[in-house]
Amino acid sequence: MRSAPKSPGPHPGRGRAVRGLGHFGALAAPGLTLYVLFVLVPVSMTCYLSLTNQNPFNPPTRYVGTANYTRLAHDPDFLHSLRNTAVITAVVTVAANLGGLLVALLLDRAGRLYRALRGVFFVPVILSAVVVSVIWQALLTDDGLINSMLRTLGVDHPPGWLSDPDLALWSLAWIITWQVLGFCVVVYLAALQGVPQELHEAAALDGADALQRFRHVTWPMIAPALTINTVMLLITGFKVYDQVQVITNGGPGEGTTSTVSFDIVHTAFTDDHIGYASAMATVMLVLVALASVAALRLLQRREVTL
Amino acid sequence: MRKIALHGALTLVAAAVLAGCAVGGGATGPGAAGGRTTLTFLTFETPNLNASYWDAAIARASAKVPGVTIKKLVAPTVDRTAYAKQLDASGQLPDIMIAVKPDGFAQAGKLAPWTADELADYVVPKANPIAGKEYVLPYNTQPTPLVYYNKADFARAGISGPPSTYAQLVDDAKALKAKGINPFVVGGGGQDTWADMYPLIADVGTDVYAGHPSWLADRSAGRTTFADPLFVGAVRKVSALAAAGYIDPAGLSRSYADTEQAFRDDKGAMYPMGSWFAASADAKPPAFGVGVFAWPTDSGKLVVPAYTGGGLSVSSKAPDVALAKKWAAAFMEDKENLDASVKADGSIIAIKGYTPPSTMGPVYRATVDLYQQAVQRNGIVNAFTVESGDGSLPPGVVDKAALGMQDLINGKQTAEQFAAFLDRQWTQATQ
Repeated sequence: MRSAPKSPGPHPGRGRAVRGLGHFGALAAPGLTLYVLFVLVPVSMTCYLSLTNQNPFNPPTRYVGTANYTRLAHDPDFLHSLRNTAVITAVVTVAANLGGLLVALLLDRAGRLYRALRGVFFVPVILSAVVVSVIWQALLTDDGLINSMLRTLGVDHPPGWLSDPDLALWSLAWIITWQVLGFCVVVYLAALQGVPQELHEAAALDGADALQRFRHVTWPMIAPALTINTVMLLITGFKVYDQVQVITNGGPGEGTTSTVSFDIVHTAFTDDHIGYASAMATVMLVLVALASVAALRLLQRREVTL
Repeated sequence: MRKIALHGALTLVAAAVLAGCAVGGGATGPGAAGGRTTLTFLTFETPNLNASYWDAAIARASAKVPGVTIKKLVAPTVDRTAYAKQLDASGQLPDIMIAVKPDGFAQAGKLAPWTADELADYVVPKANPIAGKEYVLPYNTQPTPLVYYNKADFARAGISGPPSTYAQLVDDAKALKAKGINPFVVGGGGQDTWADMYPLIADVGTDVYAGHPSWLADRSAGRTTFADPLFVGAVRKVSALAAAGYIDPAGLSRSYADTEQAFRDDKGAMYPMGSWFAASADAKPPAFGVGVFAWPTDSGKLVVPAYTGGGLSVSSKAPDVALAKKWAAAFMEDKENLDASVKADGSIIAIKGYTPPSTMGPVYRATVDLYQQAVQRNGIVNAFTVESGDGSLPPGVVDKAALGMQDLINGKQTAEQFAAFLDRQWTQATQ
């Protein structure tokens, strides 16, 4: 006897799904709420403000459409900041990746000394950017340790690391690279230690020398580390603010070291142009997102093709 | 489901609490905490005005005004005005602030004006009016800048005394340079880019404001621009000093504190700086004798740029404005506080009947003498970029001017380019 088909009835499966969704919602709600309150709402407000002329000291606030964005495209100060940000980001991304990989390769050994050295390289990462800036400012001023040493060595006119407009941006890029190097070292070290020893042994048996083993075994295997470092460094480079504020205040001279983040803060809180600063922030958000997605796509494709 | 609802409700409560924490805070109204009113007070710290200076001054004022608890806030840099704006943007404008430029805050109705009665004891009750009202207690005058000089360096270069004309100043600089002595110590590094402005403030004072006291008001009204030959001429004097090597660009990497130290370390013979250096020079005398003179004019007429103000302002949204004003006045007019301000910051007090401590040192006394001479000879002018009130520079232009000065000292801008740069910044700031 054939049993009658079950009635769709109360749908016990759907009930489980609803309960599951409820549990998920309850677990995710705190995080989601915080995310909405402290990320989505401020970002949305910033986007909205970017379409206004808000100036807390010059009310009323009016909707100005895309006028702020049009103005940005022709604002030499903003374009200087954008260029400086791009230079710092490029230098930091390339130099910290290269330096981090090199140091990681040197430290990828067993022994107490190497463990201690790993700690030493990581110290700048845990220091506040302000502390690092104060230290480097003391080192790089005209009367600082580096120029004093150069004078002792007979250099009559040592470089103005922070006072020469042609050097100051590079000095800043160096300081930021120095601070983030330890992060790259740790990520690369972790990746290096995950490369199976058997692959190196097999390559060695096939007659590969050290360089060939690095190129054909190590380098492809640490591709995820390159992705992580590159994306993190891109974001770090784009949002540089503290070092500029403490070390150069955007100088020496017009637009030599000001970055987009620095410009945003000053435009909002010194010039009082909140609407215009919001447009800058929105442009930066889009640029960081585009750069990060592009880097991720490019580098992850390389990981996939291994 | 009940658990889920409970979780959801807790989350909403937590979010509401967090959101509540984000606004307000700081000050509590009368009746809170046993009838005491908590008022926030924004200060700033410098090598002269350190934490213990402020704590002692706050304690003295609070002893005179019962029922007030002061919560001290310290601006992260000397730019307390920018910090006040940041706090204001998050709805936390301090109830009381010291030496914050009132421009913008006053026009937006965020400050409580001082009445004529409240200003009756002040020497210059209309120091920096905004639409006819005063928002900052004008308690002291600071000549900005005077030139403090190293007497030993002058003697070594064969200079018998301070110059009385601009041509003599240039000759003295030349003589110093010839002896291998850097003529001027000028700073402007780190966060303290403003410290590079003093030669320009001096030249604008002597060459522009002395003959045209309302020049900046004219600029504000659009009746002139920075391209005015008068202004460009003043700027050209600074660029000429830099081009001749009398202002060392290396100083642009020095913070304000490092710049003062550089003068103390004999890295230059002349230090154009505000009168506050006098207190520092007396409190901790350098290894050489320090003299002072006013930045000379072409003709030899005594002109001293100065700013009178620097006192307390009160937020119109303070929990008890009357009480906040009472505390601010007590802070400002307390004899011990004024003495402390004189000793720590070289203040020239602008309150009637006040006399500075008899123990003040020679550099302070020489500074006050010079200022008094200028007052008697009608030689006091506004200090360019320092002035506030109607007709002063729009917000943000002061910082940009300091960056432009760095280009001028580095030889990256001519006087004409600097003037055009300022005009562009003015236009952008007022858009």
